[in-house]
Amino acid sequence: MEFKQKMLDNGLSVIGEVNASAKSAAIGFFVKTGSRDETEQINGVSHYLEHMLFKGTEKLSALDVNEAFDRTGAQFNAFTSEENTVFYAAVLPEYLAEVTKLWIELMRPALRDDDFNMEKNVIKEEIAMYKDLPSFDVMERCRSLHFDGHSCARSVLGSVESIDSLTADQMREYFAGRYAPNNMVVACAGDFDWRQVCSIVEEPCGKWLQQAAARNLQHCPGSKKSKRLEKAGLAREHICLMSPGMPAQDERRFAGSLLAVVVGDDVGSRFFWELVDKALAEEAAMQFAAMDGTGAFCSYIRCGSENLSQVLDIVRGVFKSLADDGVTEDELRKAKNKILSALVIKNELPMGRLVDLGFNWTYLKQYRTIEDDVEAIKAVTVDDVRAVIRQYNPGEFTQFSIGPAKPS
Amino acid sequence: MPEKHVREYMAERLDKHILDSGMVVLGEPMDAVESVAFNFMLPAGAAVLPEGCCGAAGVISDWIFRGAGDMSNRQLGDALDGLGLHRSESVGSAHISLGAALEASNLTEALNLYADIILRPSLQADQFAPARQLAIDGVYSLDDDPRQKVMVKLREQFYPHPLGRSTVGNVAELESLTAENTRTIVKNNFNLSQTIFAVAGKYDFDDVCRQLEKLFAGRRQKPLPEIELRPKAGEYTHIDDQSAQVHIGLMTDSVTLTDEDYYNARVAVSVLSGGMSARLFTEVREKRGLCYAIAARYHSLKDAAGIMCYAGTTPDNAQQTLDVIVAEFNRLADGISDDELARAKVGLKSALILQSESSSSRAGAIGGDYYILGRVRSLDEIKDAVEATTVDSVVGFLRNNRFGDFTVVTIGPKKLSV
Repeated sequence: MEFKQKMLDNGLSVIGEVNASAKSAAIGFFVKTGSRDETEQINGVSHYLEHMLFKGTEKLSALDVNEAFDRTGAQFNAFTSEENTVFYAAVLPEYLAEVTKLWIELMRPALRDDDFNMEKNVIKEEIAMYKDLPSFDVMERCRSLHFDGHSCARSVLGSVESIDSLTADQMREYFAGRYAPNNMVVACAGDFDWRQVCSIVEEPCGKWLQQAAARNLQHCPGSKKSKRLEKAGLAREHICLMSPGMPAQDERRFAGSLLAVVVGDDVGSRFFWELVDKALAEEAAMQFAAMDGTGAFCSYIRCGSENLSQVLDIVRGVFKSLADDGVTEDELRKAKNKILSALVIKNELPMGRLVDLGFNWTYLKQYRTIEDDVEAIKAVTVDDVRAVIRQYNPGEFTQFSIGPAKPS
Repeated sequence: MPEKHVREYMAERLDKHILDSGMVVLGEPMDAVESVAFNFMLPAGAAVLPEGCCGAAGVISDWIFRGAGDMSNRQLGDALDGLGLHRSESVGSAHISLGAALEASNLTEALNLYADIILRPSLQADQFAPARQLAIDGVYSLDDDPRQKVMVKLREQFYPHPLGRSTVGNVAELESLTAENTRTIVKNNFNLSQTIFAVAGKYDFDDVCRQLEKLFAGRRQKPLPEIELRPKAGEYTHIDDQSAQVHIGLMTDSVTLTDEDYYNARVAVSVLSGGMSARLFTEVREKRGLCYAIAARYHSLKDAAGIMCYAGTTPDNAQQTLDVIVAEFNRLADGISDDELARAKVGLKSALILQSESSSSRAGAIGGDYYILGRVRSLDEIKDAVEATTVDSVVGFLRNNRFGDFTVVTIGPKKLSV
């Protein structure tokens, strides 16, 4: 593995990790923008804009773009979160140059009115689709409640109302402010020629203009409110719990990830043995998300309504015992083994490696080898985890549940 | 000792050995990885279980992990966890698959544990109730996930019974299931002579075979009785639901992996829905904005196959969506362009090579090939066969095999006319 980096005069970071034994290569454009960088009036614009990039440029129609990607056999797509919009493609090495050129063109989209109006329908269909997935809906609602008053409360998709009222001009203005070279990272992983990638990127991307793309990095302690929504026709109770955590820039994030595995890995965790093994809940999982300047622990639990109060009692018991006694050496050892093997498996694919590479640069301006992460995970002690529990107290959480109407 | 089939003409190697018990051991070494993935395919899938036991395979794949050998439920769980194993248990039409991906140095210990799980599960009565309850809850949960539910129903309706039997289960049949009759299913269906073991990644094949020969020693067992097929259930099923979208599942016949036209069929599906420039995405989403999710894919069992399509769309767009999809299926036989063929080919070939970097994908693929074909296709063989298709071969195939009946399932607030 060999790391390469270059910064263009306009602030665009280009990075790459060459792995000559890979069979494929992956490229990603990591734009540091998401729903937290929006205002209420234009909520959903980041995600909608992600769709619009595929609609082409002054020279390319949407169909031209789709055909150009498919001619390379690329597995390509994009995703938008609260704070990142990422465009990526995994290809056979011989197609990397072609697909890189294509992405560069798309980073300066036409944003035509006709395309904007047609895609509005697709976005509204996507919103409707997620409404039919209560496991997703409950997380969205819980995040809004937890981050109450903070920019991370905003929905990634936006609402039907905010999307309906959004104009193409508002999107163009948002684009101009956020898709700036100093607010992006271009990353490559796998088998590729670094000099070739640089030569493709430098000239066209060098012309992009810098912008002051700022972000509010306030930490959020969370509202710790509790709400339940009744929805006709639902079969199960869907519960989401959120509590604050440390940011992506904090070294203790590894202890945070290990804590989440001890508490809520899908097998072998405290939630698993207390809830799933006993068939009180069919799913109970906790995850830790380190974000820009803030972070969150997030649990999702699904059970029958008849078990709801017992499940919540047990969850409170799990968190109380964590606060009283922390985690055991044995739990920590198993959690480390799980995270380490997941890390190895994920990083064997250039596409998996790309994600870590791009986000480490986005958040830390730092290259971390897989070994760096392995060492950081191995070095976490039960005292480190206990310190995280003490500071962030995951037992004090925001709670949102969606379930069927309670029998009167 | 294990024979090694080294294929001179290609990069990858296939290892194969048959244990005395008849269990087939397959391996594909991968130089570039530190991980290993394995998969036991046990002949206890949803379609091969006795009538009246729909969902039993899911109960079994949970119950066997609740203690095995001399280990209690908790001890076994802790032992598996201690190896940093990433488990994946799944129930298919033909098999229960017990898979795992892990760091290569833990393979020997992991296989010891899996031998206990498969050969000596405790199957204690007090652990049966929670295993069954989780399976029942899984059926209820499906009601809150109409996208999944529509595809489960679609397979039920499309395939001749019991090939498409729900892998999730049926509440009434799960409730009538007992520890005793479930034990009998395990005893009868965990037939080593019909079990396939596949491993891919970093491993030593001689060591693996030696270990498995010891762990899974035994005589050949009689094969399980053939299942009798009944006609498929119906053409259109609508399930009324207050969902925001109408979830549409549609399926029509295709050829199986053993058919000489298999690659023509795969290319045709790719022209229809391989990439974003493929016809369904272009016509339904790009030109008309009817859907966010729209895709068709090839789906195959050993003895039957189909093209399976999903679309989710709000009620006002639903009828038009279905009509456009059906029209696009039928329009394929009118002809495809050279460009479409070229894009379909490069898409299929790239997907093949990209997935070949993952040890889990390869373990799944070589086991699946062996079950259906009795041999494993090399990547080169597949690439060459895809490359050999032509516009004439694909269109000729489509004209000789016109899409006849469409099986359709919808879930949502609006019934459609089919």
